[in-house]
Amino acid sequence: MKPRIKLSVIVINVAMWALALVWILPLYGLTLVSLMPYRVVVTEGWLRIPDLSVITLKNYIDVLTNPLYDIGTGLRNSFVVATLSTIIPVVAAALAAYVFANYDFTLKSMLFTVLLFVMMVPQQLCVVPLFFLFNRLGIYNTFTGIILLHSAWGIAWSTFFLRNYFRLLPRSIIDAARVDNASDFAIFRRIVLPLSKPALITTSVMQFTWVWNDLFYGIVFLVSKDLQVVTQKVIMLKGEFVVDWGLLSAGAILSMLPPLIAYALFNKYFIQGVAGWGVRR
Amino acid sequence: MSFLQLVNITKRFGKTMAVDNVSLGIDKGEFIVLLGPSGCGKTTTLRIIAGLELPDSGKVVMEGRDVTYLEPGERNVGMVFQDYALYPHMTVFENIAFPLDVNKRKLGLSKKDIEERVLSVARMLGLEELLDRKVTQLSGGQQQRVALARALVKEPKIWLMDEPLSNIDALLRVQVRAELKKLQMNLGITTVYVTHDQVEALTLADRVAVMNKGRVVQVGAPREIYENPSHVFVATFVGSPPMNIMECKALQDRVECPGFSIKMPEEARVLRGETRVYLGIRPEHIEVFDKPVTGAIEGRLFLKETLGSEQLIYIQLGDVVLKARTAKELAVGIGEQIFLKLNMTKALVFDRETGELLQELSEHVKAAYL
Repeated sequence: MKPRIKLSVIVINVAMWALALVWILPLYGLTLVSLMPYRVVVTEGWLRIPDLSVITLKNYIDVLTNPLYDIGTGLRNSFVVATLSTIIPVVAAALAAYVFANYDFTLKSMLFTVLLFVMMVPQQLCVVPLFFLFNRLGIYNTFTGIILLHSAWGIAWSTFFLRNYFRLLPRSIIDAARVDNASDFAIFRRIVLPLSKPALITTSVMQFTWVWNDLFYGIVFLVSKDLQVVTQKVIMLKGEFVVDWGLLSAGAILSMLPPLIAYALFNKYFIQGVAGWGVRR
Repeated sequence: MSFLQLVNITKRFGKTMAVDNVSLGIDKGEFIVLLGPSGCGKTTTLRIIAGLELPDSGKVVMEGRDVTYLEPGERNVGMVFQDYALYPHMTVFENIAFPLDVNKRKLGLSKKDIEERVLSVARMLGLEELLDRKVTQLSGGQQQRVALARALVKEPKIWLMDEPLSNIDALLRVQVRAELKKLQMNLGITTVYVTHDQVEALTLADRVAVMNKGRVVQVGAPREIYENPSHVFVATFVGSPPMNIMECKALQDRVECPGFSIKMPEEARVLRGETRVYLGIRPEHIEVFDKPVTGAIEGRLFLKETLGSEQLIYIQLGDVVLKARTAKELAVGIGEQIFLKLNMTKALVFDRETGELLQELSEHVKAAYL
């Protein structure tokens, strides 16, 4: 007998495909526009089957080579800011998460609650006091300032995420290492970290993406042209009176590439990291 | 003085009393098994010895030194966990070497020393072929041996084991059990072993400490635990099937049980009033017949189970069901009459209120006749 497919399965599938299509449509439009000359974009629009004869890489070449746009500097700045703003909080959070996961101490739950609160505070709310603080400290309009800022936000959620993951590691493994007279740091470095690779990678990729995509803090805290990050540079592609949609789209796609590559590279860890340790066992 | 001594150890988790005033002395080279049902506090007791838990009160003394507040690593104990707790990202070699590697400076060990010691332990446990494998690629039995090796490599003073055989299949378990005992005897290493499996306890131990509800109920050699349980809990927990327990009444001149009564001899009439007791008798001390025999009491066959060479006979006697073990073939159908003789010289009497063995009354019952 042929297995009968249930109606509900069909309905769910159709709905999911429709949702996926709606979801992917903007990205499709963006990619298409970035590959079309200005003339075609403004005269014919983008929502259609592409005419292959007009496809061109000119927009990309323009974005990367025209010194006026300075996307190269933006990419380099973003890379420096995002990399350091990933390494610092992930290392700090891993240490904090180890303590939260394995030790009992006074005020532990209160401290953890404070951490959760930090995650809930809207970033825009802090911007004015931070502006004054940074000015006082002399780190306004510096990489140091913005890296510290991103790291501070990153530590809160990374600690939360990593602590939850560390708690999934079998307790007996840590106990065994303690019986073997391994120091806390040895347990952390030689047992917990290697076993938490998926979580560490997931945290890093998410934090990197977050920082890379940030525009708000960039606009507020990085004003010098030579310090601006790529998201700030992409806005500059939009002229005051004319918007070259093709150019803007190409810039946007270029600025999206690094996080996308990171996701693609670490995809397998990503699933383990989010689903927890149980997957591999 | 004992090699390892637990003095009035008490440990609570919230409102639950996990370990309740446990005192226990363990001699050098002794194999002691903590036996009890799950939740009886045996694992907590083991973890307190290891230093993984702090007792609320009481002391742990090793070789005359109070180690209660010492870190686990400072006690020089080796521990085997129920799930083996192997480091899954390391090879067999790295796992076994770990306790030496993290302490190499303190112990003054070179890379070569570590290699030699790992190899010698691996050879002893038949692991030398597997040293380069990841532990996740090993079978349960092999993983278990790696865990044993890791606990041995640092030459600990005490070997602690938390149900190490519970995760391997029944056939292999018997084999590993024998190997484990041999290894322990050859090394002469003091061992504290936790299990809920009474067969394991009785076969491995020099002495068994039976635990229930956080307390040590009885400590003794396996034979003693089996034949002379000091508490009705021990009687019913140890033995497979467990001891038959009947609710009886001890009067001045007799003990009344469901379906029969035991007349007490003159000199035994010490009781003034009525005492509610349990009469306990092991299944192998009940003889069954398919025809009436003098001195036998009558019951009905409830169920027959074949255990290979022997049979387990369930007999309905009043409102209790007794189990008897016999090698005889009986021509009796379910629900039909069956006759049984209780070997009263092996019977024990327990207090129904406290569960304690009533030594004197037991002696009298043994001397009595049906």
